[in-house]
Amino acid sequence: MEKIQNTYKILANEKLSPYYWRLVFDAPDLAREVQPGQFVHIRTDEQGLQPFFRRPFSVYRAQQYVEIFYDVVGQGTRLLSLKKKGDTLDVLGPLGVPFKMPPEATKQVIMIAGGIGIAPMLILSDVLKNKKYELVLLFGGRDRGYVYPMQEFKDNGVKVHIATDDGSAGVKGRVSVLFDTIEKNPSRTFIYTCGPNPMMKAVQAFAGEHHLSGQAACEEIMACALGACLGCSIETKSGFKTVCYDGPVFGLDEIII
Amino acid sequence: MNLSVKIGHVTFKNPVTVASGTFGHAERYYNLEEVKRLGAIVPKTVTFHPQVGNAPVRIFETPSGMINAIGIENPGIDGFIAQKLPALKKTGVPLIISILGHSEEQFTGIIERLNAQDGIAAVELNLSCPNLNHKVLVAQDPVATTRLVKKMKSLTKFPIIAKLSPNVTDIAEIAQAAEDGGADAVSLVNTFSAMAIDIKTRKSRIGNFTGGLSGPAIRPIALYMVQKVAAEVKIPIIGMGGIMTAGDALEFLIAGASMIAVGTGNFINPRAPIDVLEGIESFMNEHKISDIREIIKSLKK
Repeated sequence: MEKIQNTYKILANEKLSPYYWRLVFDAPDLAREVQPGQFVHIRTDEQGLQPFFRRPFSVYRAQQYVEIFYDVVGQGTRLLSLKKKGDTLDVLGPLGVPFKMPPEATKQVIMIAGGIGIAPMLILSDVLKNKKYELVLLFGGRDRGYVYPMQEFKDNGVKVHIATDDGSAGVKGRVSVLFDTIEKNPSRTFIYTCGPNPMMKAVQAFAGEHHLSGQAACEEIMACALGACLGCSIETKSGFKTVCYDGPVFGLDEIII
Repeated sequence: MNLSVKIGHVTFKNPVTVASGTFGHAERYYNLEEVKRLGAIVPKTVTFHPQVGNAPVRIFETPSGMINAIGIENPGIDGFIAQKLPALKKTGVPLIISILGHSEEQFTGIIERLNAQDGIAAVELNLSCPNLNHKVLVAQDPVATTRLVKKMKSLTKFPIIAKLSPNVTDIAEIAQAAEDGGADAVSLVNTFSAMAIDIKTRKSRIGNFTGGLSGPAIRPIALYMVQKVAAEVKIPIIGMGGIMTAGDALEFLIAGASMIAVGTGNFINPRAPIDVLEGIESFMNEHKISDIREIIKSLKK
């Protein structure tokens, strides 16, 4: 890799639901290189320093263009949501370790996502579709406003199961109420998960109980995202690891949540 | 156009370097042009024994800056030499190795191991380390600073740079103490002691309870300190503190720094050191300045 920082043109930035936004930018080089689970680090205040840090986003889709999927939660994502088609975007990427492909014997791939944790799962299903796997998405969100992009998964042949806290879409309850749909066969089933820590902890416990293996995409506040500052370290079985450089993808049983 | 500067007997091709701890152990990125053109690389501080670093949370974003308490996570001097140094050498950029001992014996052990290595341009002593028998850092005690610098100078042929803490009453006094000990240069400033509190939990935002503030938020204070030190010592200064642009860097050079380091700015703009270098070159062109020495310590009163 010889260049990691680029300026790209925004092609679309649209609100998809009460919570989600999708931003599409023209980055053919990045689209070719990026793998599922990797992320980009975006300077949301290009002219100033408010916020000071860049903001990391999982790549949601990378075909001809690169897409990210985000929720407006603070100053960085608020500024991002104000960007218009034709504006430029200062992007570092692709960053981090991607998802590993499922082991040889895998038949069923279970993607378990909570809220904005859905972001890396679409690009994963883009890569895993039309292969020998049964693809299943278990998605948990606060309410139906969080359940937007399911058609794109269905188009990839993914069986989608939904749970919402208030029951306004799918089954009422946390995503763990959907665990019954998982085939509990350690050699055939492989899990990918991304979401809030309590959810990933539940997934980890479930996988441990049934000896299922998998991978988890983690999130942490980051400064450099290049493995330099060591600010985004989390605890793993093999000590502190940076989410940006050693991760964001770790073995599901590796992370200490 | 001459941008080269000298520290001890070592000449650096340009005055732009990176602050320790902001250019990590991330070999995957060493091929970037952002790395190759630096005047020097200062890798993250190395200690005698490996250190795992502090428990998270390690960083907190603040207005125009950040608080960090990483805890000098590093593989220790032997691990550094075995695992990190070869890739760093391959960049072809002069290396200034930042070291920290928790005792004089540890500093000695590190220096002795570095003496056996080639491809090192200079050694920076991170003086923000415990001062035995005192409740202060070496960097907060002029006597301890002189003693440690003197001892290290006696043990090595490498130029010795003393990295100063701003958490003192009079940083020029400590710079003077480092010069008295025979330091070839001083670098300043390290981070300012700082904290942030989560009002909901009434706990510190930082796992280590307190941390160090860096970034443009500290720049005017760092600049003041560089100017103050430049007025009182003769050895070269490596100036740092919130530098993000060539304009920022030129302020430090004019104030008296011979070299400047981009630190936290790297996190926001990895190209910042190159932007700074190119900006200094443009400034020199524009003002028909042929030698960087015409800028260094040219502050008018």
